[in-house]
Order: sequence, then C-alpha cells, then structure tokens
Amino acid sequence: MAPVISAKNVWKLFGPDPERYLRDMPADRGFDEIRADGYIAGVKDVSVDVGKGEMLVIMGLSGSGKSTLVRCFSRLHDITGGTIEVDGQDIMSLNERDLIDLRRSKMGMVFQSFGLLPHRTVLENVAFPLEMRGQDRHTRRERALEVVRLVGLEGREDYFPRELSGGQQQRVGIARSLAIEPDIWFLDEPFSALDPLIRREMQDEFLRLQEMLGKTIVFITHDFDEALRLADRIAIMKDGAIEQCDTPDEIVMHPATEYVRKFTEDIDKARVVHARGLSLPINGATVEGPPVDGRARIQDLARQLVNETREVIPVADEDGKVIGVMQRKDALDLLLGAG
Amino acid sequence: MAVTSTADIGGHTDQSAKRDPVLIGLLAAAFVLMAAYALGILPTWLYRVPEEWIPPTAEMLDVVFAFVQNDLGLIHLTRFIAEGPLEFLLDATANLLYGKRRWPYLGPIPWTAIAAATAVLGYYLGGWKMAALAGGTFVWTALIGQWDIAMQTMSVLIVAAPFAFLIGLLLGIAAWKYKWVDRLIKPILSILQTLPFFTYLLPAVIFFKVGPTAGAVATIIYAIPPMILMTTLGLKKVSPEVVEAGKMSGCTRWQMLTRVYLPAARTELLVGVNQVIMLCLAMVVLTAFIGMPGLGAKLLAMMGSFKLGRSFEIGITIVLFAIMLDRLSKAWVEKQPYHHEKGTPWWQQHAYLLGGVALFVIFYILAQFIDFFAEIGRRQSFSKGKEIDKAIKGFLAIEGVNAVTDWLRWFLNVKVLIPFRNSLLWIPTSAFILLITALTYWIGGKRPAIWGFIFFTIIAFSGWWDRSVITLYTVISAVIISMLIGIPLGVFAARSAKWPRRILLACDTAQTFPSFIYLIPAIMLFGVNDVAVVFAIVIFTTVPLTRYTIEGLRTVPPEITEAADMSGATRRQKRWSVQLPMALPTMAVGFNQAIMFAFFMVIIAAFIGTQDLGQELQRTLAGTELGKNIVLGLNVSLMALTFDLAVMSWAENRKKVLGLT
Amino acid sequence: MKKLTLLATVCSVAMMGAAASAKDSDDPIVIPIHNWSSQIVMSNVVGQMFEEMGLNVEFITTDSQAVYESVRLGDVALELEVWEGAFGASFREALKKGGLHDAGDHDAVTREDWWYPMWTKEACPGLPDWQALNACAAVFATAETGDKGRYLDGPVDWLKHGQERVEALGMDFVVVNAGSAAALWAEIGAAEANKTPVVVFNWTPNFAEAVWPGEFVEFPAWEDGCDTDPAVGPNPDALYDCGNPATGYLKKAAWDGMKDKWPSAYCTLTKISFTNPQIAEMAKLVDTDELEPEEAAEEWLAANRAVVDPWMAACSS
Repeated sequence: MAPVISAKNVWKLFGPDPERYLRDMPADRGFDEIRADGYIAGVKDVSVDVGKGEMLVIMGLSGSGKSTLVRCFSRLHDITGGTIEVDGQDIMSLNERDLIDLRRSKMGMVFQSFGLLPHRTVLENVAFPLEMRGQDRHTRRERALEVVRLVGLEGREDYFPRELSGGQQQRVGIARSLAIEPDIWFLDEPFSALDPLIRREMQDEFLRLQEMLGKTIVFITHDFDEALRLADRIAIMKDGAIEQCDTPDEIVMHPATEYVRKFTEDIDKARVVHARGLSLPINGATVEGPPVDGRARIQDLARQLVNETREVIPVADEDGKVIGVMQRKDALDLLLGAG
Repeated sequence: MAVTSTADIGGHTDQSAKRDPVLIGLLAAAFVLMAAYALGILPTWLYRVPEEWIPPTAEMLDVVFAFVQNDLGLIHLTRFIAEGPLEFLLDATANLLYGKRRWPYLGPIPWTAIAAATAVLGYYLGGWKMAALAGGTFVWTALIGQWDIAMQTMSVLIVAAPFAFLIGLLLGIAAWKYKWVDRLIKPILSILQTLPFFTYLLPAVIFFKVGPTAGAVATIIYAIPPMILMTTLGLKKVSPEVVEAGKMSGCTRWQMLTRVYLPAARTELLVGVNQVIMLCLAMVVLTAFIGMPGLGAKLLAMMGSFKLGRSFEIGITIVLFAIMLDRLSKAWVEKQPYHHEKGTPWWQQHAYLLGGVALFVIFYILAQFIDFFAEIGRRQSFSKGKEIDKAIKGFLAIEGVNAVTDWLRWFLNVKVLIPFRNSLLWIPTSAFILLITALTYWIGGKRPAIWGFIFFTIIAFSGWWDRSVITLYTVISAVIISMLIGIPLGVFAARSAKWPRRILLACDTAQTFPSFIYLIPAIMLFGVNDVAVVFAIVIFTTVPLTRYTIEGLRTVPPEITEAADMSGATRRQKRWSVQLPMALPTMAVGFNQAIMFAFFMVIIAAFIGTQDLGQELQRTLAGTELGKNIVLGLNVSLMALTFDLAVMSWAENRKKVLGLT
Repeated sequence: MKKLTLLATVCSVAMMGAAASAKDSDDPIVIPIHNWSSQIVMSNVVGQMFEEMGLNVEFITTDSQAVYESVRLGDVALELEVWEGAFGASFREALKKGGLHDAGDHDAVTREDWWYPMWTKEACPGLPDWQALNACAAVFATAETGDKGRYLDGPVDWLKHGQERVEALGMDFVVVNAGSAAALWAEIGAAEANKTPVVVFNWTPNFAEAVWPGEFVEFPAWEDGCDTDPAVGPNPDALYDCGNPATGYLKKAAWDGMKDKWPSAYCTLTKISFTNPQIAEMAKLVDTDELEPEEAAEEWLAANRAVVDPWMAACSS
C-alpha cells in the first residue's frame, strides 16, 4: 500500500539564502559546519514514510528539528530541498488555493500550547475550520457539537478558552483538529504542557480515540516514555536528522547509534518489548506446548516466564499462528534488567 | 550567545564612561574651538553659520507646497474631503450633541439621556465606580454650565477617534505585512511624535478649511502614530501556534487577518484605542488655536479675559473627561468575554444594552416636558468662577507667598537661568555640535552620536540657531529642576504602599489638565520671564519623572530585594545599591518622556513670552508661512529626536546588562 | 475627476443664479468669533439680528489675524471688529490680494499704548506724562532688569515697537514682550494683589477698563509719518518717537461675494455702527456679569432695540 506521507531527502535550512547554499553545499556537511556557515539545518536530509493508519512518533530533544519536520509535512514551512508527497501528490507543487483545500479536507493539527482563539467559545473554536471551509451555520454547529461530545466536553460549549483548565483546553484543540474529519492527524507535543497525571489520562483518551478513528498520525514528543507507549514506529531525531526510525521493540533492543542507546538505557525494557520482538526464527527447532501471544509485553508475561519450564517458548501472531520462538533466558534477562 | 553580547555591551559602556578616545577627541576639539573663540582667533564661520550659507529651506518648501496645493490640485481633493464626507459627519454629530442645524435634525440629545446611557456603559465595563465616574462627569459638565462647549468638543472627538483608529489600524497592518512600509513609516512616526503641535495645525487649516474640519484633521493625524505602533506590536505578538492553527484550519489570507490575527491582537488594539482617545482629547483642546470651538476655545477665551476661576473649572471638566475616557477604555481592554449559562433568556443576556437604551429613552422623553432635564442655562448653573478668582487673588496677596516667589524669581533668574542661557549662546556653533555629539556618544553610543551630529548640523543650517539654543536651554533647565523635584518625590512615594496610588493619581490629573492652563498661575507667581516659563514646563515634566521612578522602584524583582535583605543591607544601602540601579533603565524612560514633554510644553510657553522657536511658531499660525512653520517644527523635532535616540539607546543597553528585557 | 469639477461648476453656477435674484440665500452666513468678549458678543448681536431677518447664521471660532484670509476666500462672510492698530496690517494685506472689502467704520475709536492701572499713580504721581514716567523708572525695576524700569509690551508679533520707542526717547526702561494677551492680564492681576506699580501694553475698548481702572501714558502726540520719517517727532534721528494715534479706527470687513449672496444682510452690515460705551456694555455683560455670549447678546439687543431697529428697517425691502 502506498504511504500517505512520503518524504525523500528533505532539507529545511534557515538563513539568508538557503536554496542557493544547499545547491552549492558539498555533500556530507555536518550540522555544526553548516552552522558555522551561518545557516541552521532545521531538517537535514530526512527520508521517511508514513503508512495509512500508522502512528509515527517523532522523538527528539528541543531543537532537534522534530517540530520543523512536522511543519514541513503540512507545508507550514516550505522545504529547501527534497520532496514531500501526500497521497502521492508533491505538496511543494501546490498553489495557495490547492494547499488551503488540502488542509481544509485532509489535515488536522494539535498544538503544544493549544493555539486556541481566545475570543471564541469552545464551540466556535471547534467549528472554526468548518467555518473557514464555508459550511453553513447549522451543519457546522451539528458537527462541532458531535466532536465536542467525542472529546468529553459537553456542557461547556459556550465557555471561553480562558475559563477552562489546561487539559480541557487541549481537548478543545483536539476536537478542533478532528472537526473536518482529517485523514492525517498531526500532533505537536500535545500533552507536554499538561501535568503528569492529566497527561497520562489524555494519552489514554488519545489511544481510545485512535482506536475508534484509525487516523494516519504523526505525533511529536520529547518524552521517550510517551513515544514508546503510543508509537507504531518511532523516529528519533538529532540535529535535524533522523538517527533511527523503527518499532519501539527494535529501538530498545537494537539502538542504531550511541545517541539512541543513551535514551534506552534507563528504560524498563520489559515494559516496552513484546514477545514478538524477542522471537527468533524457528529454524527447525522443536516447538512444544501452547504459544504466547506475540502482542504481549514481556512484563505482562513475567509470572508465566518465571514458572515456565520450557527453555524455548513459541510465539504466535494475533491469529494464533506460530511465527517464531523466544528463548526463556532472553526474556528473563530483559525482565531482570540484565539485557 | 546572549551572555557574550551583554558582556560586550557592559564592557563598552564602562569603557566609554572612563576614557574612550572618541569621547576625549570630541571634547578636546570642542574645547579647542571654544578657546579659539575666547582668544578671538576663531573664523566667524565656525562661530555661527553665515547668513549666505543658509539654504532658503522655508521658501523652497513654500514653493513645493504651492505646487502640490495649487498646480497638482491637492487642495481640491482635500477641500472636497473636508467639505464632503468629513464635514457631513461632523455636522451630524454636532446636530446630535449640541443641536447644530444640520441633518439628521434630531439633536440636541438631552444631557440626562447621555449621562444615564454612559453610566450604564460604565457599570457594564467596570461596576459602580465606573458608572459613577462616567455619569458623574456628564452631570458635572451640565451643572457647571459647560454642556454645549463640552459637546462641541465631543462631537469632533467621536468623529476623529474612529478615523484615527481606522487609519492607524490599516497603516499598522501594512507596516506589519510589508517590510518596506515599515521602513518607510518608522522615521516618519518618530518625527510626527516629536513635532510640535503647532506644526500640525497650520497645514490642516490650509488644506482643510478653518474650523472643525481642520481641527478634526489635525486631531486625526496627531492620534494616528500610537495606533500604528500598537497594531504592529499586537500583530507581531500573536502566538505562532494560533497562527499555525489558523493556517491548518485552511484560512485564506483574508480570513487569517480578520478571523485570526486581529481578534487575537485584541488587547493591544484596545490599548491603541485608549491612546487614540487620549491623544484626540488632548489635541481637540489644542485645536482651539485654529478655531475649533469647544472646551479649548472657551478656555482660551476665559484666559484672554482673565477669568481664572472659570478657566480652572473648564480645566476640571477636561480632566474629568480625560480620566473617564481613559478608565472606560482601559476597562474595556480588561473586559474579557464571559459565557452565559445555557438557557439564559435573551433579555438577560443583553440586560445592559436594554437598560441603557431604556434609560436613554426615558430621559429623552422626560426632557421634552421638563426643561431642566434638557438643558441647564448659564444662570442656573453652579459655576463658582468668581469665588475661585477671589481665592486665587487672596492667595497671591499673602506676604509669605510673595516673599518666596520674589526670592525664587531673583535667584533663578539672575543667578542661574540667565547666566546659563548666556553661556550656551556664547558657545560657537561648531563647538556646540561637537559637545552634543560627545554627550550623545557618552549616553547612547555611536549611532545616537552620529544622528545627534547630523541633526544639530541641520539645525545650524536652518537659520534659527540662536532660537534653537534658547529652546534647548529652557528644556534643559526645566528637566534638571524637575529631576530635583520628581525623583525624590518618586523615591519617597515608592516607600509605602498607599502613597504611590495617590501620587500617580495626582500625576494623571496634572498631565491631563490642559497644558496652557498652567501658564497663568506661572505668570502670576513669577511674572513674564524665564522663571515662569521654566515653572510651567516643570509642572508638566515632573510627572513622568515621578511616575517612572515609582514604577522602576516597584518593579524591582522581589527576589533581588529579598536577597539584599538576607545580605543584611540597611534600608538605605538597599535603596542606593540595589533598588535605584535596577530601576535606572525604567527611570530613563521617564527621563526621556520628561524631555519630550518639555519640548512640547516649551512651545506652549511661548504664550508667556519667550524668544525661542515657540514664539516664532506661534507667529506663523496667524499667517500662511507654511514653509517657515515646518522648518521651525522640524528644528524642535530634531532636537527632541537627538535626546530620544540617545536616552532610549542607553536604557536598552542598560536593561540588557541587567537582564531585564 | 473631470466629471466632479463639471458638477461643481454646474452647482456653483446654479447657486449664483439663485443669488442673483434679490432674495438672500438660505445658506448660513458664517460669522467669525475670536477670543475676546466684546467681539464675541457683538458677533452674536449681529447674528441674532440676521436671524430676526429670517437668515441662517453660523458662528465659527478663528484666529483674529488669519480670519482675513478666510474672509477673502469666503469661508466666513464678514468681520465685525477690524482694529487699526492690531489688525490693520493683516486687513490691508488681504485687501491687496482681493476678495474682501471695507464695509465701513464703527463710531467707536480704538487706542493702544503704554498703560498703567490706577494704583501705579500713587508710586509715580507725575503720571500720565511720559517724562514723569521715565523719572520714576526705578519704581518699575525688577530682579532681572537691574535699576531700569520694566515695561511689558504686547507679543512681538503685534509689532508695537516698544523697544524702538524706548531707544528713540532715551528712556530708562527694559522692554519685555509678553507672549499673549492672557500674559498681560496675568501680570496686571498679580500686581493688583499688593498694588505693585506696573506699566504694560493695553488697548481700548476692552474688558480690562472695567476690571482695573487705569490710564494711558501720554507720549508726544502722534503725527503722520512718525513711523516712516525720522524727522517727524521730538527726536530728529529716530522713528517711533511719539505715542500711537489716540483715535484709531474700528472697521467692519465683508467678503466680496456677500453683497450678492445675502443682499439685505450685507446692507444691514454697512449700516451697523457701535459706539465705545455700547461695546463696553457688551463686554461687561460677559466679563463681569458672567453671561454666556448668546445670552449677553439677547440681553443687549433687548435693551437697545432703538439702536438696531433702524439698521434693520433700512434694509428690509
């Protein structure tokens, strides 16, 4: 299946004349060298695809270029080099009208500090994209009410953002981004400004929504735990470039660079890695007994692993078909933090 | 990065304060020139720019204006505007407010109806206090017998303010959107903000016909700059996420501007509205000089016939209007939208509007039957003009007062002001320019010094050097004296919790009192001479110094004073080594404003009797010498700008050093 | 734009047509008012007379020097107080440019010169003679003038030549220029408190006579040419060596177009002639009795029907 977003060799440079600089720049120029030349590499030669219904989490520290990258996907930033295709269409070739149409019909975005319009009520904020689209008052009210209910804000439709708590404000932000029923959903650190308790609650809420809606999602965070908790795949960024882009299991088990490894160090891997992630090809080994579910986390299998008598445990996919085997020792090492 | 740059600046100021070769060079050159002059060996062209070198700027400007005005036909356009739409609007408001016989032939609206409606508005915006202020102002005006003239002023204000708002908004948007507009507008704004108001008046009269139209135009132009500044500021401050949210919602450019940017910049725009209203009110009073009827004209007439008490009462009315408009518009800035519970009936949601309209209608109808509700004649009014006159005369007859003012007059005039003026006039022009350059270099650094040099050279070639120096002398004297009064007053007030509010209220009042009202007491206390002139300016310039001293001291971060307390600093040590240094950048803003006010007031003080630019400017008002008027105005503006650039640059550097930005 | 001008031309032609018939135009007659009471009340009196004649009147506050330019352009229709000394120059200049004309003199005469309030006489009994004044110059000395006397002249732009006169007559006085009329009054008012002797520039008729009784200093009498020919006057080598004319004119001025646009109003204007006591009475109603100008005008008109009725009757055809 063709990817929904496909970025190839994307560059975003900031500086006096970035196009020209990029054209004349020798290959393999590093971030710091570019900075010495008076340019900042916001996004540095990034290639990544996002598949339909996939949740890609972009993780990085502040200044790593993650926000810039996601703004390139929606062309809030014009890229300096490379191509970005959305549903097979090069978005840099769109004119203003088409770009507006694309955003009006396919994209929704949630912001770290909510980006609500302070002079509009909850309902008016949620209905804002519909209003821009020129929908009539009645339909947009109906739709806005529906989304407000979806995010659990019924009863507060007439409040102003100022009158809401942070978590509630972000619910408005989420509702607004969903109002037009977008195919692609961008979330830029949506929960970072919230208290830890609220954050957790919002993450659950978010997972619930995603289960229901099944959108294609690009989610940005600087919180590795959050990334591991939500992602289908994680792209870890540093200095504008992607260090590694893979499933959480792979990143935890096989960090590609030293930088990535440092992130994974303090992680309780058993809470992240799935049985599937530890499974090895069968290679003719004898498989005995009932398999474990490949989607289960090692931590959730802890009791079973301790009591297990088999050294080699079969792993099955969601249909119950055995896809490989897991060494009990590997799993126990992970569980005990020796891995 | 920030750290290194502040260190740079810190090093630079310290160095320039001690021994900077440029500074020493400039000073040395100036002293050489002065010594040469004292010895009689200075070439005369270095003493004063010779007459024949002075370009006929005024005449050239006159030719240009004559060309634009007549040959290009601009006057037809401006007169068309003046006699068409503008006059139409002014006539309409004039009819409603004081019954000028023009369309829509409905007015005058009874004073009770207006007072009641504004009281309700006041209540909506700020509760009972605001209601009392709003309604009370109108009741006072009516009872004191100034209703008609106050309404003449208001009828221009309510036309001029929206225009100034709209034009300022559009220009502000343009400057925010297009870099080149911004670059074009910035210097023009700086000049406009320092230009003496006399220079606004004459072109207005020539292009827009004497009377309310010219008054309205001058008022509009005067009030536009802050609106432009606040608009750009507000638009720039809109959070990038709100902007991106707008874009992601698929806004077109127009939708972005009208649905996202402007509403999100509401607070700054309303602060702009507040400033527009205040400047409009100040200017509307001053336009009396070009024949605008209303409070200002009445005040001038009262002063012209030596009616101090009545002048004072008009002054109070103006202050009340100013405070009312200021507080109401500020309350509007702070008024945030609030949701109504579901199911609130519509009449309850619009209770204030309905109440206001109802009261308005009730009083309108009552006024048809009861004369008192419609109009209060002179004989029924409660003016105490004569009693105030007596009180003032009684005060002046007190021996002690006389002794003090006589001594001050003698001391300041003979021992301070006249010697100071004569020595400034003695300095050769060339040396003077170098001294100014050195001063601005010392205060503000290189850029302000270059501008100072250029500006004063232009002044030297304008042909009005001596008068410019006298203007500057008056300004400097007044600012120094007001520093001696204002800063200690501010330091004293900032010590306690309740004094600042009282002093700031006094400041507000002193500042909104129409400036020329101070002239009469100044003369009566000191006679027609420089002491009276300086005194009148000092009243005005002390205000910002006091205000910003209080502000600066009170906004010192509490952790810093706490740290000083924990280090065992005494009150005195704390004030001198912690609070004052931290407050200095803010105080510099006050100092700068004091200088700007002084340049404003020195022009008005021409009515006492001076030999400076103000006197010449005042003289041009009567005639049609537009070129001369503008040259004189620009001289004032250039001097003011020189100080503005230097002081503001100092304050900014200092703030960076202290990390206050 | 062309269409606009065409339209304007058509309109103005139409208006001229209307004006050509003997009836006065319905457009308001714009009467300028300035910042002193007698002129304001007089303007109101005349305005109310015009209104009685069924005309529309409007008042507009203007500068008293710039007004002649406005009369010339027809922005205002007339000017009721043209003082020889104060506004003669502006009036003559506007006259030269064309557009306005002399609409006759009032009966009243004007005088402006050095003046002192009565209490000053106690300190310098020889007054009003100018030599006596000079003899007690020290009485008028102040801190900044040393032992010389201080004379407060009108604003520089009134061109009263006080400095020249002091030099021409060799007087021991320093001339200080006030910045405005208000400044002059403030000085007198301040001096009144403890009866300090002062000598200032002043003129008649104005409200000050009623507030502070006083006299003009008697300088060598005015002779024609005193301001242009050094030989005239006591000092053969100097100009301005005599007093100002003791009887200056007080004129009315009218816009040239007034005659055609409002013929009967114009006719009345030419008949109008107020006397010094009448003008003083008008000023007093406002300055001493504290009436608003409109009310003062009503009151004055009611008391002086016999004066004004003939002027109106002569012109209502």
